[in-house]
Amino acid sequence: MKNFLKKASLLYLPLLTILIYSCSKDDPDGINEEEFISNVVISVTSPDGSLQTIDWDLSETNMETINLKANSNYSVGLSFENRSDPTDIEDVTLEIIDEADEHQVFFEFADVSVDVTSANNDTKVGSRGVLLKSVWNASSTGSGIVRVYLIHQPTNFNATNREGFGGFNDVSIDIPVSITD
Amino acid sequence: MFRFVIQSLILIFSYGNFIYSQSCDLILKGEITDLHDNSLLIGAFVSIQGTNFFSQTDLDGSYKIKGLCPGKYNLVISHPKCISINKKLNIKQSRVYNLELEHHINELDEIIVTDSKISKLRKSIQEVSLNISDINSYGSNTLVEALNYIPGASILKTGNSIGKPIIHGMYGSRVGIITDDFRQYDQQWGPDHAPNIDFDSFDIIQLIKGAAALKYGGDTSAGSIILSSKRKKLKDTLFGKSSINIESNGRGGKFSSRLEKNYSNGFYINGNFTGKRYGDFNTPNHILSNSGFKEANFSIKLGKDLINKGWNLKYSSYNLEPGILKSSHIGNVQDLFYALNSNEPSIINDFTYNIEAPKQLAKHQKLTLRYFKSFENNTKLELGYNFQNNKRKEFDIRRGGRTEIPVVDLLLKTHTLNVSLSGIDIKNWDFELGINGFFQDNFSTPDTGVKRLIPDYIKFETGIYFLGNFQKNNSFLWEWGLRLDHVSYDSKKYYYKSVWNERNYNILFQGFETGQDFANQILTNPKFNYLNLSAQTGVSLNISNELKLKMSYILSQRAPNPSELFSDGLHHAMAAIEYGSLSIEPETSHKVLFSFSKNDKKYNWSLEPYISKTFGYIFIEPTGLKQTIRGAFPVWSYDSTEAFLTGIDINSSISINRRLMFDVGASYTYAQDVINKNPIILIPPLNTFQKLKFAPLKGKWSLEFTHQTSAKQNRFPNSNFIFDYIEDGKLVSETVDISDSPRGFQKLDAIFSILIGNKNNIRSNLRLIIQNITNSDYRDYLNRMRFYSSEIGRNFQIQLNFNY
Repeated sequence: MKNFLKKASLLYLPLLTILIYSCSKDDPDGINEEEFISNVVISVTSPDGSLQTIDWDLSETNMETINLKANSNYSVGLSFENRSDPTDIEDVTLEIIDEADEHQVFFEFADVSVDVTSANNDTKVGSRGVLLKSVWNASSTGSGIVRVYLIHQPTNFNATNREGFGGFNDVSIDIPVSITD
Repeated sequence: MFRFVIQSLILIFSYGNFIYSQSCDLILKGEITDLHDNSLLIGAFVSIQGTNFFSQTDLDGSYKIKGLCPGKYNLVISHPKCISINKKLNIKQSRVYNLELEHHINELDEIIVTDSKISKLRKSIQEVSLNISDINSYGSNTLVEALNYIPGASILKTGNSIGKPIIHGMYGSRVGIITDDFRQYDQQWGPDHAPNIDFDSFDIIQLIKGAAALKYGGDTSAGSIILSSKRKKLKDTLFGKSSINIESNGRGGKFSSRLEKNYSNGFYINGNFTGKRYGDFNTPNHILSNSGFKEANFSIKLGKDLINKGWNLKYSSYNLEPGILKSSHIGNVQDLFYALNSNEPSIINDFTYNIEAPKQLAKHQKLTLRYFKSFENNTKLELGYNFQNNKRKEFDIRRGGRTEIPVVDLLLKTHTLNVSLSGIDIKNWDFELGINGFFQDNFSTPDTGVKRLIPDYIKFETGIYFLGNFQKNNSFLWEWGLRLDHVSYDSKKYYYKSVWNERNYNILFQGFETGQDFANQILTNPKFNYLNLSAQTGVSLNISNELKLKMSYILSQRAPNPSELFSDGLHHAMAAIEYGSLSIEPETSHKVLFSFSKNDKKYNWSLEPYISKTFGYIFIEPTGLKQTIRGAFPVWSYDSTEAFLTGIDINSSISINRRLMFDVGASYTYAQDVINKNPIILIPPLNTFQKLKFAPLKGKWSLEFTHQTSAKQNRFPNSNFIFDYIEDGKLVSETVDISDSPRGFQKLDAIFSILIGNKNNIRSNLRLIIQNITNSDYRDYLNRMRFYSSEIGRNFQIQLNFNY
């Protein structure tokens, strides 16, 4: 029986040899996450031409407030960026424009009432504006929040609340809004 | 040309009461025939080693040995033109033992023994074994679906085409799956990863509820599922079987075929093919969009089996492409909330066979080489090498035309080597010892453009085991086993610096830092070594002729799996961020199992209570919310606790009369996290099945009804979280209830089977199966898609089987 064991251990040796030679793993390539959105940039232009830019960053909770005056038209532009590699900043907005037929931006307001329409220079699919460029008009004063959604593959493009759109959220962030006279 | 071959077949059991009286009046008799032409062999010598008992076959080819005491004997069969053969025999009562011999002139040692029985793995643990052909007759299409008919086993499902076995409330890395004597190595840590096995290419499923299959590993505290093929007959034969299955639900079917050629010199070759194709399935009320699947498998095996040596080589390929329910792809908790509050999936399209993202792609290739040699003293040496190549891809709906690029793309290669020595008999003791080791390399492709779910790693495991049993007489057996495993991981993983620091790894695991950076990520080299001990001991007692008691204690230790250590990212279908923990230690589980069983001709039953305690039980729990650009996500983190599990499995079978059979089974599991005083998640609720089968005495048909029930699981932990959404211009807070279980359900199936032809050695049989006859609309707590849809509705199946 000792003989068998000897044979057995001899057969085990090749495996051990494989192990010794391949014990350390090569360094894997780093992955820069694609289609990832790290920043949402909102530029709000007032009727008199002054510009407020809000750069919503993933790494910190951004509490900067959008300031509006009631009953005035503001031009609001949205852009989405991937800055996870600071040396290679990617403008994801271009991808959304390319795939405008399956994307929709939606703004939902709490405690304030703001009317949103598609701007003339907005990306359009037929008559539908994606709302990457929009015109905001607040009807009363107060403070609240706006939830900015980027919806991918909505089942209904003409809904009035988030549930009605279906699809799934690629972006959902809250930004405080303050409306004065 | 004469050849000698021995085939043993146990034909008759006589039920004598003299087993327990040690009176030595047992008779062993039988016939010895030539394997080729069934002619009787005259003058073959049958003797019992170490005694003066012997007999020589007479003109009728029969032998008879009288006056034997119960016990284990070594039978020596010889013939003037053949080498002597040893055959171990346990004689409990007088019996007929027929043998087939075959003469060899040149190859005197090529003598084959085939056993019609699959040997039990451990004798002190109740084991369930099922024939694959029986499973097919229920219209089950996946391996795990078949387990529905075993009390104590259930299925963790992701939709209807992906299932994982649950044994006694545990799944994943705690369940071992063994095929052709080797552990299956796919990405088994994932709850939505089905075992990559084509069960149609096997004949028998054995299930052991506990880590008692120490030969294959000591870390599967739930139990093991062992798939094996029947051993070859050795006549010159060509046989096979084919089966066609057509189903209404999913508008698809399955075709499987097997062909096998055996030669009288022991050589054999066989091939298997299975193909499945299904479109979208439907619930009683709507279509489950993107729930179809495709599967194509084949295997080829060749080898030579002789009495004292043999080898075989097998290659198998498994390919599965299941679609994942479209509406389960969600962006954040808000989408999950809407799905939970809706009775219907959010996306219902027209029926299609197309499978789109989200979907999975699994390919598993296996190459096995085995060799055995038996020696005159009955010891058997077995050597085996196995290579498994597992590819797994997961596709999701992506932006920028990236849907065709998988988000998960893993390649897992495993080399295993087994060496074992069994049948070492010393007086009343029987020992087996062995060593096995594997080397595993996991590679995660960077081309996905998504952070790796599981990092690249090398895992190396070596185990040695020593098993023994002591059997003095037929009514008492004591067995034990010990196993020691060494497990090591060498992994290379990128962590986001923010996560690495937030989790204090920069202090706790500073040694893993390599000093290399990539953008805002840090490359680390976690290395772990674990030493695990597992053990089993148990007794088997015959209390009376029919009543049997088995008792077993099992100790098992399991090293954390890659997901428990390294998970780090968003899990889409659950809208959850999952974190592994580098601090997790191996878990140690103690389990005690009892089994009382009674077998008589009319009424069989078994009762199997068990109790277990696991220290360092690894589990995942909700630990807060994390803000992302997609909104807030609940964070789930792996942690360890102390788990207490107990339960009972009941099975009984009654022959009401010679035409009518009634089977009943039930199982219940209680599982508690002792430290946090919480129930454990995803534990099967109380479930039962009953089966009524009618087969007329001389009829060619049978009719069978099965009824399954599953109660509501009232014991679940609270993993709910609060999120807020905007409704009518106001911010509203809501609880997202992902904890509650669906209500109980019942399901009724019927099977009608008829023999339609038995000519020219072709037996054909037709089955009509209706599943979910009442078209009941229910959700299953153990289906991870229960948030999005109901289970599938009524299904008609037509099954044609040919055996030739």
